[in-house]
Amino acid sequence: MNDLFKYRAPTSRAELFSLLAAHGEGARILAGGTDLLVDIRSGLVRPELVINLKKVEDFSELTWSQSEGLIIGPATTVNDVLHDAKVRDCYPLLADCALTIASHQLRNRATVIGNIAHASPGADMAPGLLCLGARVQIASQRGRREVPLKDFFTGVKRTVLSHDEIVEAITVPPGTAGSRGSYRKLKRIDGHDLALVGVAVTSKDGAVRVGIGSAAPTPLLIEGLTDADPADAVVAAAREAIRPISDLRCSKEYREYMIEVFVRRLLEEVR
Amino acid sequence: MWMSVEVNGHIYEREVTEHWTLLRFLREDLELTGTKDGCSAGECGACTVMLNGEAVNACMVLAAEADGATVETIEAEAAKGELSEIQAAFARNYAVQCGYCTAGMVMSVRELLRHNPKPTVAEIKEGIEGNLCRCTGYQQIIEAVLDVSGQITNETRGGLKYV
Amino acid sequence: MSDTTVSSVATRVGDNVQRVDDTAKLTGGAMYASDLVFAGMLHAQVKKSPHARAKIVAINTSKAENLPGVHAVLTGKELDYRIGLYVADKDILAKDAVRHFGEAVAAVAAESLDIASRAVDLIDVEYEVLPPVLSQMDALDESSPLVHPDLGSYDYVKASFSPQPGTNIPNITKIRKGDIDAGFAEAKWIVKREYTNPSVQHVPLETHVAIVEWKAGDEVTIWSSAQSPFTLRDLFCRAFKLPHNKVRVVIPHVGGAFGGKAGIHLEPLLACLSRKAGGRPVKFQATREEEFSLLPCRSALTYRIKTGVDADGRITAQKLLMYWDSGAYADYAVNVTRASAYSAGGPYDIPNAWVDAYTIYTNKPWGTAYRGFGHVEFFWGLERHMELVAQVIGMDPLEFRKKNLLKPGSTTLTGEKINEHTGDPLKCLEAAAKAINYGRLTPEEEERQARTGRRIGKGIATLHKAPAMPSFTTTAAVIKMNSDGSVVVNIALTEIGQGTATVVAQMAADRLRFPVSLVKVAVERDTDKDPFDWQTVASKGLLLTGNAVIAACDDLLRQAYSDAAQVLRAQTADLDHDAERIFIKQRPEESVTFAALSIGYVYPNGNGIGGPLIGLGRYTAQGLTSLDKETGQGLPALDWTYGAHGVIAEVDPETGEYKVIKIASAFDVGKVINPGTMRGQCIGGMIQGLGTAQCESYIYDGHGHLLNPSLTDNKILTSKDLPEEIECIAVETPQLDGPFGARGVGEHPMISVAPALANAIHDATGAELTHMPVRFEDVWRAIHNEQPIDTWVTKAPAV
Repeated sequence: MNDLFKYRAPTSRAELFSLLAAHGEGARILAGGTDLLVDIRSGLVRPELVINLKKVEDFSELTWSQSEGLIIGPATTVNDVLHDAKVRDCYPLLADCALTIASHQLRNRATVIGNIAHASPGADMAPGLLCLGARVQIASQRGRREVPLKDFFTGVKRTVLSHDEIVEAITVPPGTAGSRGSYRKLKRIDGHDLALVGVAVTSKDGAVRVGIGSAAPTPLLIEGLTDADPADAVVAAAREAIRPISDLRCSKEYREYMIEVFVRRLLEEVR
Repeated sequence: MWMSVEVNGHIYEREVTEHWTLLRFLREDLELTGTKDGCSAGECGACTVMLNGEAVNACMVLAAEADGATVETIEAEAAKGELSEIQAAFARNYAVQCGYCTAGMVMSVRELLRHNPKPTVAEIKEGIEGNLCRCTGYQQIIEAVLDVSGQITNETRGGLKYV
Repeated sequence: MSDTTVSSVATRVGDNVQRVDDTAKLTGGAMYASDLVFAGMLHAQVKKSPHARAKIVAINTSKAENLPGVHAVLTGKELDYRIGLYVADKDILAKDAVRHFGEAVAAVAAESLDIASRAVDLIDVEYEVLPPVLSQMDALDESSPLVHPDLGSYDYVKASFSPQPGTNIPNITKIRKGDIDAGFAEAKWIVKREYTNPSVQHVPLETHVAIVEWKAGDEVTIWSSAQSPFTLRDLFCRAFKLPHNKVRVVIPHVGGAFGGKAGIHLEPLLACLSRKAGGRPVKFQATREEEFSLLPCRSALTYRIKTGVDADGRITAQKLLMYWDSGAYADYAVNVTRASAYSAGGPYDIPNAWVDAYTIYTNKPWGTAYRGFGHVEFFWGLERHMELVAQVIGMDPLEFRKKNLLKPGSTTLTGEKINEHTGDPLKCLEAAAKAINYGRLTPEEEERQARTGRRIGKGIATLHKAPAMPSFTTTAAVIKMNSDGSVVVNIALTEIGQGTATVVAQMAADRLRFPVSLVKVAVERDTDKDPFDWQTVASKGLLLTGNAVIAACDDLLRQAYSDAAQVLRAQTADLDHDAERIFIKQRPEESVTFAALSIGYVYPNGNGIGGPLIGLGRYTAQGLTSLDKETGQGLPALDWTYGAHGVIAEVDPETGEYKVIKIASAFDVGKVINPGTMRGQCIGGMIQGLGTAQCESYIYDGHGHLLNPSLTDNKILTSKDLPEEIECIAVETPQLDGPFGARGVGEHPMISVAPALANAIHDATGAELTHMPVRFEDVWRAIHNEQPIDTWVTKAPAV
């Protein structure tokens, strides 16, 4: 039987990094698989090698400490985050975002890092993580680097990652723990759907942050706002940042309108 | 790839096609056809099975990923030829029509009840959200879950009204 | 009253008997066509057109043919067969031109699915892309390109249809009743509006599947997920000019159908592949994506309604213009057009009516039967229109409807006289209205509105439908007694989820006075073994097959009584029976068991008499006629099932987002055979109707590419989308020629859900919705009076 691609499941970082370095563009990371397998089936990507990273030791970690905040590993599933007591305590917004992703059985597989690294403009974890100041820990055979999440996305399904790199962790700083925040997602039905727009707003120590999905080629973060800013100013800042398009899911005008409504309503909720 | 997987209590050792999903492996290699293919894209839930005790869409898992894992499918639900409590409640409440979503639906209900033995209606809806059904309109499935979790009252028991 | 106990020993129609097929389906043991595997079986894959309209310049299949494991490659050039239900307009594979996105242009049979997929990728097709005709209204224009330039040369069913050669119109149906001009002259108000629906998909959870084996000597066997084995066989044999006794069609369990699996689809292509591959069985299962455009959909409709109303609020005249978008092939769309035309006015008394219903070809995937057969689509316009007319004349919409409902003595558009046994639309409407507290908000609803800031509205809508079927539609049932006194029923009505097997078992048990546990209804359908049935469509199965089953039971009992009379030395009139034995009424201890009679009675000395007890029952629709082609007058309706929906909706007036708080629906089913299965079938239809109302729609770009052939972007409702409350109500006005007084309700629950919802949203917000589906954005636009959303994505995004 001819295989369309080869499959490997390395158990160590070293093995993983050397596979990536050796195969370059032809290799694809399989974490939850819920985006990759869809893309392979539709012919959008045609990898030579699929590398399952779930068997790498300690990749499913999900830890919290006062000093480092939240650390989310590459194999941590969306349901892991959704059901984690510490997440619910310190960053309930992340649980809010997680619950809106697909269905229960998909969330059992889908990973938080996969949701971010796939870099869909409508990634549901992005608005919340952006508001909470998440940082992306990138690793490869060449070494490690850290990028703020807001600088991680470079376009539709494009990121700063090179072919030999993986996201080794997403960290959420302890400083934003306890933020008041909420996520609102416009869908076509109440059941599982992609975000036509997704808006998160947080407030902590007077700072207001707005994260927006499906409104531009990448998820957006609007910073530098304060509790003192009137709602109109926050809305104006959001309107300034977004670049929505019309597509089969929704028109540009409705996206613009709904972002405005959501920002206003969420501001009221978190203030 | 050579793999070993426990399915419904039996160990299978097989050469598996590396690009095949767990769904194709179960249906085509093991001929366990109770698990259905409704979309192959993670949208419909007809292929829901238990992988290491957790409900997953078998179309969204590579067969190779199940190497060393434990899988349970609908074929193991009725032990010794007797319907399980979930299955019996489905039958009592007319929760089956064409039957194509049924296997996946039963798997999702099992997962739900494992975490939450007395789910509310809202929690049941959340629990089976990933399982599309085009025949029943879900209502009698929800009633079956209320029934099997001991929550049927005269108010929640569905019934046809006559005028 | 509510149904609480479920039984498998009940004998009576009207009891809650457990489904007879649920154990197999719950344990994974039920075999569907997709589960079948045969020795030597090959797998087919199809090369599909990426264009909506193009000339096929060249197809190169040599690389595919040379791929190891490939056993047959086919293109349209080598296939000289025309397929078509009513108009023979379709080739098995596109020949010189493609007419819609996703159309099959070549096919491969190979040893595995993976090889077949690779082979299809290796087929090169050179196209000359042409501008497509995408809107059916544009296709009526004289300057429009013709989708079928050869329409004039096609065979068609002349008794029912009227193709217009030289146009894009494969059929016009006309209905003329009374004097339309005089009717409008009497009117105080005349209201004219246009309503539109897009194409939608059936989305059965099991996509279309078939396996076909064409062996030497033209012995053909077809295993298929089709709804109608005998119609499939008939159409197949007509296309290939084969005798019926050479072709066997087998239908195992079917994973949902909804009309999309009626007729004939993949079977001819697979047959040709099998023949070319030396008779090996060839299997194909459509992917979910292929289900959207390689296979058919529901037709789009533009409905123009002009209504005259007098000072009392009575409708005096109605002009009804229907423009059905059949897509690239006529298939069922011509008959959807016909059936919709004669039902077009709804369950209302319209003294003067004029209907012109056009079927129109376009370069899009073709329309076929879909639960409701046109009625879901035109009732959207009709019941929105009734609401808007009521608003114009200043009358309450419920009162306006009640004033104009059909009643005993009324005549339908085709001249059929309604009587008190036809059914009771008023009772349905009042029950639905009452169930939602129509016309006011309860204190709880007032409080909820104040608390949430969302507006609550209530809407109602009526519906009717008769089976769309030939006037002479017929069926049969065979009931065979086993040697232990249990029985097996054979019918060709397929079990597609609707519960046919269960209610047939129940009706047979009731008629025989046996417990249901003694009755088996065979699941698999087989044209070599089962008696004829026309099709499993049109909500006609319960009435026709039910009557045939009753006749078969009577026939079996007649034989048993005759043999028993001989054994007991009695006259049949002196006999009675229970579930086990036939006995002499006066001296019940003198009896003979059914088991002893079942395969011939044997006397103590070894003599045998009688023989296997096999009952045959037939039933043919009674008294129906064809319709006059110029006036549409005649008797097309086996029975009319009436119904009504009430919907309570809650709308966010700022965003247009809404949810359904309650849906309550009432149907006059004549007699409930099984409350549990009826309620399940009805709720399923109501939710399918809500899906079609809320979010389902084909979306194309300006080139005719289908943009959403997936469950990612063609959403259907999930469990989370259910109304908070669902109520299903049965009205029982007996149908005198129905089995136990029953009539069908398979399609009806889905009809008119959309206008009931939109009427509720209208009530809550004033939004004048005229396009389906009603997405949140549509409501927002209607409330804020913005331009309606361009549901046709005319500016093609880069694809």
